[in-house]
Amino acid sequence: MNSTKLSIVDLTKRYAPGLEPAVDRLNMSVEEGHLVALLGPSGCGKTTTLRMVAGLMDPTSGSIVVDGKDITHTPVNKRGMGMVFQSYALFPHMDVAQNVAFGLQMRKVPAKEQAKRVAAALDMVQLGHLAKRKVRELSGGQQQRIALARALVVEPTLLLLDEPLSNLDAKLRETMRTEIRSIQQRTGATTLFVTHDQDEALDMADRIAVMNGGLIEQFGPPTEVYERPNTHFVANFIGQANFLTANVVSENGPATDGERYYKVDIEGLGTFGAVGHPGLTGTHELVIRPQRLQASLHAPLGANSITGTIERVSYTGDTLGFSVRAGERLLHAQLMTSSADMPRQGDTAHLSWEAADAYIIPKTPQGPAS
Amino acid sequence: MSITQTEPRQADRPGHEPGALEKAKVARDRRTYIALLVPAILGLFVSFVLPLAYMIRMSFNQGAPDGVIVETFTLDTYIQPLTDPFYWRVTLDTFQMGVIVGILCVLVSYPVALFLARTTSKYKGLLIAIAIAPLLTSAVVRTYGWMVILGTNGLVNSSLKGMGIIDTPLKLTNNMTGVTIGLVEIFMPYAILAMISGFGRLSYQLEEAAGSLGANKFKVFTKVTLPLSLPGILTAFLMVFVLSISTFITPRLLGGGSVQVLATEIYDQTTGLLNWPFAAALSVILLVLFGAVIAVYQRITKKIGG
Amino acid sequence: MAEAPLFKPKLKVGKPLFGILVFLMYVFLSAPLLIVFIVSFDSNQFLSFPPQGFTFKWYELLPKETTFMNGLRISLIVAPIVTLIVLLIGVPAALALDRFEFKAKGALQSFFLSPLLIPSIVLALGLVLLFSPLRLTNTYAGIVIGHVAITFPFVVRTTLMSLATSDTSCEAAARILGANSWTVFRRITLPIIQPGVIAGGVIAFIVSFDEAVISLFVAESGLPTLPVNVLRYVENQADAAVAALSVILILFSLVVVVIVERVMGLRKALR
Repeated sequence: MNSTKLSIVDLTKRYAPGLEPAVDRLNMSVEEGHLVALLGPSGCGKTTTLRMVAGLMDPTSGSIVVDGKDITHTPVNKRGMGMVFQSYALFPHMDVAQNVAFGLQMRKVPAKEQAKRVAAALDMVQLGHLAKRKVRELSGGQQQRIALARALVVEPTLLLLDEPLSNLDAKLRETMRTEIRSIQQRTGATTLFVTHDQDEALDMADRIAVMNGGLIEQFGPPTEVYERPNTHFVANFIGQANFLTANVVSENGPATDGERYYKVDIEGLGTFGAVGHPGLTGTHELVIRPQRLQASLHAPLGANSITGTIERVSYTGDTLGFSVRAGERLLHAQLMTSSADMPRQGDTAHLSWEAADAYIIPKTPQGPAS
Repeated sequence: MSITQTEPRQADRPGHEPGALEKAKVARDRRTYIALLVPAILGLFVSFVLPLAYMIRMSFNQGAPDGVIVETFTLDTYIQPLTDPFYWRVTLDTFQMGVIVGILCVLVSYPVALFLARTTSKYKGLLIAIAIAPLLTSAVVRTYGWMVILGTNGLVNSSLKGMGIIDTPLKLTNNMTGVTIGLVEIFMPYAILAMISGFGRLSYQLEEAAGSLGANKFKVFTKVTLPLSLPGILTAFLMVFVLSISTFITPRLLGGGSVQVLATEIYDQTTGLLNWPFAAALSVILLVLFGAVIAVYQRITKKIGG
Repeated sequence: MAEAPLFKPKLKVGKPLFGILVFLMYVFLSAPLLIVFIVSFDSNQFLSFPPQGFTFKWYELLPKETTFMNGLRISLIVAPIVTLIVLLIGVPAALALDRFEFKAKGALQSFFLSPLLIPSIVLALGLVLLFSPLRLTNTYAGIVIGHVAITFPFVVRTTLMSLATSDTSCEAAARILGANSWTVFRRITLPIIQPGVIAGGVIAFIVSFDEAVISLFVAESGLPTLPVNVLRYVENQADAAVAALSVILILFSLVVVVIVERVMGLRKALR
């Protein structure tokens, strides 16, 4: 039932000959109705990719296909897309309704229908009562919604969002996340969403493309990129992570989803259980999320346990974080707080995990990515 | 949904040529900006470049009586102003007037600029506007105002006479005194603007910090305020200087024919004596003087800035 | 040091003195404009002080003063044409300088602003020398061409300032919504940079309207503009009719000042 809405094929952008490409032979396809987040640090090529899809920037090579049609050579004003900019880019000299109506005017929609569709779009973002307001009289959140209404009213082939939440304060950002997501799901608009904020991507996206240095490091559903990172970069960029270098000793039978349990050796600490792709051998990195570590001050809780000394405790009310030194390794654990047993600096602690929570990163670590 | 990397990335892959789309865009942009620039370039060429070039060429011709121009290539027109004591006098007077007006203008503008740079009044914008608004009023009108103030029966003389301080009116117009007073006022807005911009680093906090460290008022001024405002002062001085040496209306009106500077001389040579090559040569001399000062100014600002 | 008493703002004694000094300088700066105002209502025929009595007669006389009226007519033909031309060539030029990248950009910008650096008497002479053989002296075309050079930089500068502060993503948004380049310019860019365009336009207008030197050289005998006629009038006789006219000219400038101040700030525009 799902068809491909957008395919990006070998898309490359070089700002000047000889420079490292900003986007390097990128391939990606997006299903109809999906919200895909392009996630990565600044300079990773996510905005460049978005601007090429929009037609605001010409690719050096490669192609962009929408609904089976190659639009690489289609000028920006003929692509029928909708875009929300980081600055919202509302037209300051027009009122709210005029802003929203602009795209319809360009499409020569009859005035009567324009009015109807503008009203509907404003109702969708719950700002119908502000139609006659000047743009500068609106709050950031309101401007953001108007920008969204303006992009959606033309029923765009693709909705493109360029860091739309980064200019809002933290609280509003969370509200808008929910709202954008629900509007996107209601309208079914296939959406590309550029962000550097992992929480946003995890919360809103159907698929996340984690980008780094012009390449996609991993493309998959939020749970997959979080739980099963392909690379050190992905594990490190999304969420917090403990990395341990481990040697695969033996495969220990099947786990869920076609994965295998492994026995691995961590130098100086012993052998532990872990999980990973079938057929792994040799040295790999093991990633364990701090939240998946259990801690005990008295005795090890299970087979996969490391004992060390607490170096630092950080109490934030909801959570209790602490760093445990075991030999030359420093492990971070994060627990929900409880009234019992506050660990203190210098205490001995035992950190343990389920084998299914220690994931073996399939690719061997690369130099600069750490 | 799929993600494939067609081949491993190679850092040493040779740099690609720009793509066809990029090339087309570059060409399109080029056509656009050239089309946007051509009218302006043409306009300035006709109204600005051509007249100046023609004037420079003219300065190497020879003027004969009754406005006859002998097409030639000679330096004669330059020899006269550079050797004739009268023109030496005119050039020196022009230069001297520029220096004096520059100094006086800086002196009277400095307090205003200092005040405007550090006032926190909510009327700051208005006060700045009042100080520089005269820039947009006619120089003829403002000079006329000074004629009323400084004339034989003007404000100053009648007030002084009325108070019994003087019997015979002071001679304040038709001489360099009047011209100087008028020019100082007329160029004040320029000086104030230049100084406010130049006072970038000057701030109340800095002066307060110096004060809190125990410096007295005088010390704060000489050790903090003044050094920090020097670049602005210098800019203002040079600006007023170049404006003064080339100004025509005020020397003409307030000088009443008895003040001869390069600008009035250029006018007389052009319209009265019809010696155009000579007028052109005087203009070139003025331009050189002008250019030299601007060059010096740019060197100084670079030094201060760097 | 940390507990030292808060230092009271200095210049405590000097403050009133400094204030008086600044006030006096403001008075000096506005003296010629203020005096013209007073004299224009003085019943005395000749320049003198203090005023003898109050009258409107100088203002009533103005419409009958044909030299002024002719000059005004000429100036009111020249200034709008000049304004239109410099806007038509200056706004696109500013657009090219701000929105495109090319090698000669810096040089071109300096070139566009350079008429401000040339003494107008020098340019005036150049124009009259060039125009004489072309029979352009004492023509509207001659005056207009001369004024274009000196007003052009203002338009470029104010427009560039507006362009620099405008959000280019508005233009991108409009294009994505289906607008072509011309529509983007007309419906988005132009309205957004309107303050700079208006400021540049009214400054160009008043500079052309008040310009005396170029007009004097180029068209003194045939098409004397208002400032030229005022200049000649003041040279010969200085009765209060000129004061009345001057007040009107000052008020005119004031309108321009207010417009520029409101749309983009006088200081920014004149810098």
